[in-house]
Amino acid sequence: MATLEKYLKPEVIRQISRLDLRAQFIVKGFLQGLHASPFHGFSVEFSEHRKYAPGDNPDDIDWLVYAKTDKYYVKKFEAETNLTGYLAMDLSASMAYSFEQELTKFEYSICLAAALCYLMIHQNDPVGLVTFGEKIVDSLAPKSKRQQIGNILSHLAKLKPREKTDIGRSLSQLAAMLRHSSLVMIFSDLLADPDEVIASLRRLRHGGHDVILFHVLDQAEVSFPFEGLVELEDPESYESLEVNADAYRKDYLEEIRDFRLGYERECRQSGIDYVPLDTSMQFDRALTEYLVNRRNCG
Amino acid sequence: MGFITPALLGGAALVAVPLLLHLVMRRQPRKLVFPALQFVRKRQQANRRRLNLRHWLLLALRCLLIAGLAFALARPTLKGTGLRGKEGAPLAVALVVDNSLRMQYIHENRDRQQQATDMAHWLVKRLPANSEVAVMDRSRLSGGFVVDISTAEARLSNLTPESNPRSLEIVVQEAIQLVADRTDHRQEVFLFSDMAAAEWTEEAIESIRELLLKSPDVRIYVVDVGVEDTQNMALGKLKLRNNILRPGQPLHLEVPVKATGMSDDPLVEIFLSTSAEQAVKRGQRHLQLSEDGNSQITFELGDLSLGTHQGYVRLPTRDPLEVDNTRYFSVEVRPPAQILLLGENVKDTLFLHEALSPELISDRSDVQYVCTSEIFSQAANLQLENYAVVCLLDPPPLSENFWQRIIQYASNGGGVGVFLGHRARLNGFNETIVQQLLPGKLKLRSRYATYLRPRNFAHPALAGLKDYAENIPWKVYPVWKYWEFADLAADVYVVARFANNRPALLERPLGRGRILCLTTPISDPLEPQGREPWNLLPTGPEPWPFVAISNQLCGYLAQQDTESLGFFAGEIVTLRLAPKQGVSNYVLRDPGGESIRRTLPPGENAIRIGTTHALGNYRVVSGGNSGNLERGFSINASPDLSRLHRIDLEQLTNALPQERVEIAQTLKDVELYVDIGRSGRELFSWVITLVALVWSTEHLLSNRFYRSAA
Repeated sequence: MATLEKYLKPEVIRQISRLDLRAQFIVKGFLQGLHASPFHGFSVEFSEHRKYAPGDNPDDIDWLVYAKTDKYYVKKFEAETNLTGYLAMDLSASMAYSFEQELTKFEYSICLAAALCYLMIHQNDPVGLVTFGEKIVDSLAPKSKRQQIGNILSHLAKLKPREKTDIGRSLSQLAAMLRHSSLVMIFSDLLADPDEVIASLRRLRHGGHDVILFHVLDQAEVSFPFEGLVELEDPESYESLEVNADAYRKDYLEEIRDFRLGYERECRQSGIDYVPLDTSMQFDRALTEYLVNRRNCG
Repeated sequence: MGFITPALLGGAALVAVPLLLHLVMRRQPRKLVFPALQFVRKRQQANRRRLNLRHWLLLALRCLLIAGLAFALARPTLKGTGLRGKEGAPLAVALVVDNSLRMQYIHENRDRQQQATDMAHWLVKRLPANSEVAVMDRSRLSGGFVVDISTAEARLSNLTPESNPRSLEIVVQEAIQLVADRTDHRQEVFLFSDMAAAEWTEEAIESIRELLLKSPDVRIYVVDVGVEDTQNMALGKLKLRNNILRPGQPLHLEVPVKATGMSDDPLVEIFLSTSAEQAVKRGQRHLQLSEDGNSQITFELGDLSLGTHQGYVRLPTRDPLEVDNTRYFSVEVRPPAQILLLGENVKDTLFLHEALSPELISDRSDVQYVCTSEIFSQAANLQLENYAVVCLLDPPPLSENFWQRIIQYASNGGGVGVFLGHRARLNGFNETIVQQLLPGKLKLRSRYATYLRPRNFAHPALAGLKDYAENIPWKVYPVWKYWEFADLAADVYVVARFANNRPALLERPLGRGRILCLTTPISDPLEPQGREPWNLLPTGPEPWPFVAISNQLCGYLAQQDTESLGFFAGEIVTLRLAPKQGVSNYVLRDPGGESIRRTLPPGENAIRIGTTHALGNYRVVSGGNSGNLERGFSINASPDLSRLHRIDLEQLTNALPQERVEIAQTLKDVELYVDIGRSGRELFSWVITLVALVWSTEHLLSNRFYRSAA
């Protein structure tokens, strides 16, 4: 167990370059701790029969269907098959930022996305990928095949976050794209106008989608660890400001706290799951914690 | 404000260091990418303002710290404003030491003058060698600046108490003028005084103020050596009823006693001595003090033989100021005065003769007057100079020669009484020669019935009647006739009037003598032959008022009252000599027993003595032991010197120009003022404390700013 804990730290995972392995590793560790899929509560709307395959629990065979067709169908998965998940990944340049951390926000988000993707595919839920900057850049259609994890992760590994951001517009675009109720998992640092973002989130929610907002910030953005006189430059607008970091820290921390609390409040009101994260946190633990909470609430 | 090491003030230039660091040597900022810049931007303005404020505040404190340190190391000193503009100049100092008798007040076993002199010595020792110093006191005129400081010290050591001090105001004025003449010097006057209110009258303060305004560089340091709650028992001015006594007349003296801060009823003693004998106590009495501490004691001594008698009244109790515990007096008992009564006939002189020298008294040893009755027709044969008083009783017109002799007699100091009556005539009395004697030209005989009614007894001719004047039944002595004058001469004084307000008794001085003129006779019998009496003055039902008036008038004419034998210290004593006394030299023996032989210029009719500074009884003797002259007089201190009440010092400093007068009460105060005035008071300790305060404030603030930032 001690060794496993050690490998679950993001710093160790970074050393393993293959993302699929990394994702597998994480979720396995997660399952070992939990003994049951935390995604049970996800399927509430659909039911479907599926051909029995070796390895399925024979208790789940629908004998009525067998009597009519003489073929084995399993009914256990009736309620879980059609939950389509979308991983919405922010590609803005700010996501490539890291200050003295192993992972950038983007990489951290990929790790999270990989883990969630693995979970959903593992349950035969289709998962798609949407990447956005000022608008939606790219997308992969949701599929529940096992290869989908590889597709998504290889696609993500190729991407470089360098776009400008318009999260509100992108999410509105996404809301328009989705026809069925889906589970939208957004990974972003949300460094844009909060009003527009919140409006688009509400729109998604209004469209009947279940939204999980992973707010990923760099550890430096949360704790403002700078000292002395610094000139700070925005990687998107290239604006710069000269400030005395020591004197400014208190004000900044207040601002960022207000910012996160503002999102938390708005999301709670709109029925959106808001998950504040920073790159110094062990994301498997953060994820587990979130999912346990979600199951308890659901 | 001055500096001991002003060069170190240059260190203040180091203030530039933090300024330079702040403005020029700014650190280059570290460039960093930071996506969450929007949150930084939000508070940028407010934060920058706050930060700037803190920076400037700290910068100001650091600059202040450096400047304050430079200021402190330059050792600033605070200087008196009176010496402004005279930096480095030599000193012109006038030391005024109050050496009046009042300064003999003993407090803590030291008299005030000793205290003042010691302080002055201390001060003189501290003066730079090139100072010009003047030592002034209340005894004599200032001799200006002394040659060197050791002379000043010697003069201070030789100061003696002064019984007749000059006015302190004048001495201070002299001191101010003396130092003000040294325009190229720093001008300071040190006054050592007990600050008695008697010396600081409003006029004195005003005149000093004006002089200070005229001399803008002069500064006065008043060193107060006085005592706040004084205790004293003092004898006031001694009052003798008569300085010249006649045989049998008792010595009557009154002394006021004033107690300040003491409530015990004092014992008062009287001592009397004759010639060279020791003083003998002749009486003592316990005195009951009134609530305000004032009282008066009266002594009466009889049986004084002919000659000069001297003595003193003494308070045997000890008090801090002893000089006013003894008062000296001198009286002379002279042989009876010779009085010549001139009348038309001897009968006319009877009443006055009996009134002045009653034949009925068998013992003739104590009579005051010896009367000789003569008639006008014999007057030419008489030596008037042998008589002290000549009374002309109802004179008729007399020869010009007679009047000439009378005028000559009066001019030489004789007393002449003219009692006009029915024998007077206008044509004989209105002559020019007689008018030199009479108060004015006779006008008419008034027949207006009235009576003598003196109202004012202030005149010495009637002063003796004052105590019982109200008991005299004036009305029972009617006056039916009296002379009226046409015009009174300018030098005539109306001593008494009738009830109808017409002049009755008139005085006219002539040379050294006195002339009294009564406008109605005092020799009229009750029933004169062939006419009505003019009045009932000598023949009224009660004879005693007539006796009293007669004695008073003759005593006045004999000038018994004029010669005072009691003087204040410093006064010029005049002892009148009798005509033909023929004194050419004499010996003056002072209270210390020292004898000084002196010569009297020929023709001088009085001895004048100016060296009267020692208190006590003096004797003037001439003619060896046979002694054709043996006189005496007493010198006392002025009662003003017993007034210990102090002036309000605040009131004094307020009345004098601001910042020109400083008052010190202890040696420490003097030292402080002198240090401030000269080298100044060092402010290093204060400034360094301030610097430490600034430094700790800077430290606190910077810690607070950066801790909150961290």
